[in-house]
Amino acid sequence: MVSVGLKVGKRTSYVARLTKVGRQVVANRWLYVLIAPAVIYLIVFNYFPMYGIQIAFKDYKAVRGIEGSAWVGLKHFRTFFSAYYFGRLIGNTLLLNVYNLLFQFPIPIILAVMLNNLRSRSFKKLTQTAVYIPHFVSTVVLAGMLYILLSPSNGIVNHLISALGGQPIYFMNEARWFRSVYIISSVWQNAGWSSILYIAALAGVDPELYEAATIDGATLWQRVLHIDVPHIIPTATMMLILSCGGLMNSAIQKALLFQTGGNMATSDIIGTYVYTMGLGNGQFSYTSAIGLFVNVINFALIVGANSISNKMKGETLF
Amino acid sequence: MVSGSVVRTRPHMQRMIWQDRVFHAVNLALVIVVLVVMLYPLYLVVICSVSDANLVSRGQVTLYPRGLTLDGYNAVIKNKEIWRSYVNSVLYTVSGTIISLAVTMGAAFTLSRKFPGKRLISTLFVFTMFFGGGLIPTFLTMRNVGLYNNVWVCILMGCVSVWNVMLARTYITSTIPEALYEASTLDGATQIQYFLRIVVPLCGTIIAVLSVYYGVDKWNDYWTGLIYINDRALLPLQTILKEILASLEMSREIIMSMRDNAESDAVLLQRAQIAKYCVIVVSTVPAVVLYLCMQKFFVKGVMVGSVKG
Repeated sequence: MVSVGLKVGKRTSYVARLTKVGRQVVANRWLYVLIAPAVIYLIVFNYFPMYGIQIAFKDYKAVRGIEGSAWVGLKHFRTFFSAYYFGRLIGNTLLLNVYNLLFQFPIPIILAVMLNNLRSRSFKKLTQTAVYIPHFVSTVVLAGMLYILLSPSNGIVNHLISALGGQPIYFMNEARWFRSVYIISSVWQNAGWSSILYIAALAGVDPELYEAATIDGATLWQRVLHIDVPHIIPTATMMLILSCGGLMNSAIQKALLFQTGGNMATSDIIGTYVYTMGLGNGQFSYTSAIGLFVNVINFALIVGANSISNKMKGETLF
Repeated sequence: MVSGSVVRTRPHMQRMIWQDRVFHAVNLALVIVVLVVMLYPLYLVVICSVSDANLVSRGQVTLYPRGLTLDGYNAVIKNKEIWRSYVNSVLYTVSGTIISLAVTMGAAFTLSRKFPGKRLISTLFVFTMFFGGGLIPTFLTMRNVGLYNNVWVCILMGCVSVWNVMLARTYITSTIPEALYEASTLDGATQIQYFLRIVVPLCGTIIAVLSVYYGVDKWNDYWTGLIYINDRALLPLQTILKEILASLEMSREIIMSMRDNAESDAVLLQRAQIAKYCVIVVSTVPAVVLYLCMQKFFVKGVMVGSVKG
């Protein structure tokens, strides 16, 4: 008797829960309508391509399509690992990202502290507006400006070098200049914009701290060191960890624009290789395998970075 | 009383100690250097675009325009391909941004509420920030679903950024009080009425910020045109610019559009070079102007975004 009663009780509670959820779904029907377009977008533009990753393990033939092509296992991965350019590609990608991080990380922080300590409010605002502008210049235009300004025959930079008695340098076509040009232009474009986060962190500093420090006879420099810097460190740590998550990423859209016949030795990174071999030579399966290889590494790096930042901050980033 | 007045005195009103004077001087000097480095390249492009081609190529134009001329702009205007792609880009940017804003705000509002299945949908969103199909599988998929070589791929590609959805959701949860929702549902408003009549009007700041993000991204995108468009008539401006600007050789197209009478090839090349400066100006001005118009919204919008929800 008791057991039967319990059973019925359980079933009714299960049914009750279901009807409760059902009622909530009906009550919130407009929410599902509002989010539907975004969900459909993500399914088509993000999840369908993930399904298409299977061609990394197949020999893709256009007539047979993604699903109909024959499975070949890890063949394409093996080809890549033993490819002549494998080491060079990995090395170039990593080096470019590491050097990039070395400069892109600290400069916005220094810039934010500098701006925060300007005495005139209006000049500070003006400067902030001005240093964000390069961020709105397109990558194509950035590359175009560099091709023009760094031209060995009539670029302004080489005119200056010649005037100082040096030999013109073919910046855009020499392997040893690729990384410098790439990184300096990235800093030019992004330093101001990236400083926003740190400026926001500094805006959160309680003004009483500065006043107390001033009364205690602290110089400005000491206030920067002992008030500003500690306030920036949490944001900075988080940004640093996150950037480490992108170390195998290729900023292919930018690198492709900077790649010329002469600088391949340093500018040939995984992203550009996938583009050239995949879309240029039609080796879809081989390059999908390379893409998957990189994506898995990136996934591990980002998840790792995110969990480290969670442990440090006690909250998730996303 | 005395200590109170000291606290209230702003630091720069006090007599400064010499270390602080040095600090301010050095800081100001450095900021001015930064400003020059950031803005001079852009200024240089602008003055070169209206200067005499010969003087520019000899490096004589550095501080102000010399030999004022609009030849370069004339050549750009005469070039049909630049015009057509310019119109395309305006179309893609305007329609893409409107679609992006509508979809993003709808998703952000939904994610700011509680409903069955929220965790599943959130996971679906966030996972795309960590993992993707990669260039080639995406390319093949787009071709399979018919988003290839037509205006739709240009308009829709990148029209939802999960990051922006999260930004807008944080803005909604942190600025719109829950009491408003309760009050309006009590008055009989449905969720969609609440969204359209209450939430959207209160989201002006974040909508302004998002329209700059989406608009500039779309305007500056050369990649979609490069990968997904075959038909030159559909190409956006940036993809055409890539051919003109980002190569060591001079585009034949633009050289030909400058040839109006018998000139030596060297002069022609110099003048074609000037057209490059003009193209840069014409293509960059819309993005920068959009940003400058909206920039008063940025501080607030970005601050809210940096406070996580």
